[in-house]
Amino acid sequence: MKKRCLSLMFLLATLLVVSTACSSNSASDGNNAKNDDKEITIAIDQNFVTLDPHNAGDTVSIFGTRAMYEGLVGFDKEMNVVPVLAEDYTVSEDALTYTFKLRKDVVFHDGEPFNAEAVKVNFDRIMNENNDLRAKRNFQYVESLEIVNEYEVKFTLNQPFSAMLNKFAMVPFISPKAINNKSKDVGLNPVGTGPFKFNEWNQGDSLVVEKFDDYWNPDTTNVEKVTFKPVPENGARAAMLKTGEADFVYPVPQQKVKDLENENGVVIEKTPSTIARYVSINTFKEPFNNEKVRKAMNYAVNKDAYIKVVKNGYGEILDSTMSSETQYYSQQEPYAFNLDKAKQLMKEAGYEDGFEAEIWGNTSSETIKGMEFVKQQLAQIGIDVTIKSMEEGTLSDEIYTPKTPEESKVQMWYVSWSPSSGDADGATRSLFSSDYFPPNGANTAYYNNNQVNNWINAANETSDTTEQEKIYADIQSTVYDDAPWIFLASDTILSGYNEKLEGVYVLPDGSVSIKEAQLK
Amino acid sequence: MWQYIIKRVLGLIPLILVVSFVIFMFIHLIPGDPARLIAGKKATLEEVQVIRENLGLNKPLIEQYIVYLKDLLAGNLGYSIQSGAPVSELIGERIMPTLGLTFISIVWALVVGILLGVISAVFRNKWPDHIGMVTAVSGISLPNFWVGLVLIQLFSVQLGLLPTGGAEDWKSYLMPSFALGAGIMAMIARFTRSSLVNTLKQDYIRTGRAKGLSGNAIVFGHALKNSLIPVVTIAGLQFGFLLGGSVVVETVFSFPGLGRLLIDSIQMRDYPVVQAEILLFSLQFILVNLLVDIIYSFLNPKIRYE
Repeated sequence: MKKRCLSLMFLLATLLVVSTACSSNSASDGNNAKNDDKEITIAIDQNFVTLDPHNAGDTVSIFGTRAMYEGLVGFDKEMNVVPVLAEDYTVSEDALTYTFKLRKDVVFHDGEPFNAEAVKVNFDRIMNENNDLRAKRNFQYVESLEIVNEYEVKFTLNQPFSAMLNKFAMVPFISPKAINNKSKDVGLNPVGTGPFKFNEWNQGDSLVVEKFDDYWNPDTTNVEKVTFKPVPENGARAAMLKTGEADFVYPVPQQKVKDLENENGVVIEKTPSTIARYVSINTFKEPFNNEKVRKAMNYAVNKDAYIKVVKNGYGEILDSTMSSETQYYSQQEPYAFNLDKAKQLMKEAGYEDGFEAEIWGNTSSETIKGMEFVKQQLAQIGIDVTIKSMEEGTLSDEIYTPKTPEESKVQMWYVSWSPSSGDADGATRSLFSSDYFPPNGANTAYYNNNQVNNWINAANETSDTTEQEKIYADIQSTVYDDAPWIFLASDTILSGYNEKLEGVYVLPDGSVSIKEAQLK
Repeated sequence: MWQYIIKRVLGLIPLILVVSFVIFMFIHLIPGDPARLIAGKKATLEEVQVIRENLGLNKPLIEQYIVYLKDLLAGNLGYSIQSGAPVSELIGERIMPTLGLTFISIVWALVVGILLGVISAVFRNKWPDHIGMVTAVSGISLPNFWVGLVLIQLFSVQLGLLPTGGAEDWKSYLMPSFALGAGIMAMIARFTRSSLVNTLKQDYIRTGRAKGLSGNAIVFGHALKNSLIPVVTIAGLQFGFLLGGSVVVETVFSFPGLGRLLIDSIQMRDYPVVQAEILLFSLQFILVNLLVDIIYSFLNPKIRYE
């Protein structure tokens, strides 16, 4: 008996040893402490999905690939388009041809030269239907690519497109050798031209990149190694900045800003973003088809209070259909909080006693807080709002399954939008053109204004940027006045870093740039 | 005994078929369209359709299941819809950290839990019992994410002794396994106590005492072993759950385990990953149950399997 008991305990002890052995095994390949001064760790809130730069769709994957890849043009800190792998570019008078002169001193991480042929191989990969790559959307108006000479390429469009340069900035180049060898594996073994080259990616744990010694602009960075670590928990991510485990943290949770600002050696950066928060109102349905009702809803919501309560004070009033950081943004006069005016408008519309309505949103705690705020505000003018919080997949089905405006059941949708390349077309077409009602787009307000439809197309048909600016200003003032949304706020991006680190920053679209990282 | 084990293992095959069918239908029939979720809000209908066709999601469900089953029998778990990575690789990367964390959590919970339970039972209604049970009740009552955050604040931020998260070396396993094991330890302590208190009232214990056995010999030699059946049952169940990964603790400690992979895949309706993971959990549960049955017969020789 005693022996058996002993052997049971022995078994337990063995399990203990085995299990610790397991854990230390998995640790052997990870680097423990930062033994070199020139290494940095960046803590972010989500996992990378893919490292294929032509197929990355989520912000995290996009900026992960941007550490290793570059395009002909790229974005600077304010999201202006600047030349990168192109020395220079020209756009023809009719806006149909884009000619790029390539840099001659660029090599890929595997030693392959970057030239017109490399551009062509990448272009062919993207345009190949069978590859089904997300980057193809950037080239929806591109008809052909012509190699002028070894260091010059010419893209021809089938119609002018105001956001074309922004779209070029979204298309990085992969080494032709990597594409030809194992096109499918590109997402796991990135080979680009960027200042950092791929080291390892443990999915769900970390992405490690190291300095590329033959980079064409050798002084860009002095950092030898960068580790991206997904840390989903807000408190833990903030703590890493305090303990020094992370040198850069994004996003910094709103509740932790004050606390971290008091921490020695930590800098908190607040950046205006391209992320717009709003409630879309289904203009196809009664009583929302009444403009007065929609305006009353806008007047009834106190935006300052919204920013204070829901965003902890970090945000700006959304005073247009897009955020101030978007291309061709034009400021409008916001619907100032005014209950008397709102009630008056409801009366004029014949809804003095209010009505019942439903608001939809996903299950994140911030969304729920936002919906509760809107519900409480609209109650002031007699609108009795029911909150329907749905898991993302179910919500997406509810929004995109109905084939016609008549079938659609959405009344109000609490959501956010950020144009993928900071361009005005991306912040307008899919949201306000009647060609983009679900399931074909995200116009969940079912907003249909012929003038706006025409303007959206007209903006693309001209190559004159002042003309484009004017057209987009008209679109913004018209849509803002029609009030197909409750215009709430644009997000403020919060990031934090160790004061020894410079040159790592978050762009207005929420992507982290490490290219110019410098350690003091 | 061996015959019994072989029979049980062979019995797994039809079970896997049934489980795989149920999982497949279940995950495909819940609302949410992976093609739309991959394409994102900015996609047009045409783009969504192309993705759907490329993934073969436009084919009849039964046809899709047959393709899946064929691959499964060939040992191919398929590729993630979202990232294109082989599912076996995605799971493989996370299974070792999860196994390690599970073993450490369950082992310390068992050792400490049984010890606390024994002390409480032996000193029933005296102060060691009260201390033991207060510890146990706290373990059950404190939510593990809160325990986790407190641990991070204390050991990482204030003392700077342990990393806030990850799974890089043995140090990063300490806090998550403590947070995970605390509740289980408490449960085991309470089960051990009540079971042992019952056993200590039995006639054969009185006989043992009468023939002059020492207290230790009675408790550890006779009573404890006979009291462990409910403890093994509960520990086995918890072990099975832990193998599935813990979303909450993995999130707090940014631990690369199976729980978060499952939640992420469900959110994106990444069918192949979800199917493979749930299949794996079912298998693990069956195996753990088998193990528990074997331990039963070892603890009580009257239990025999034919």
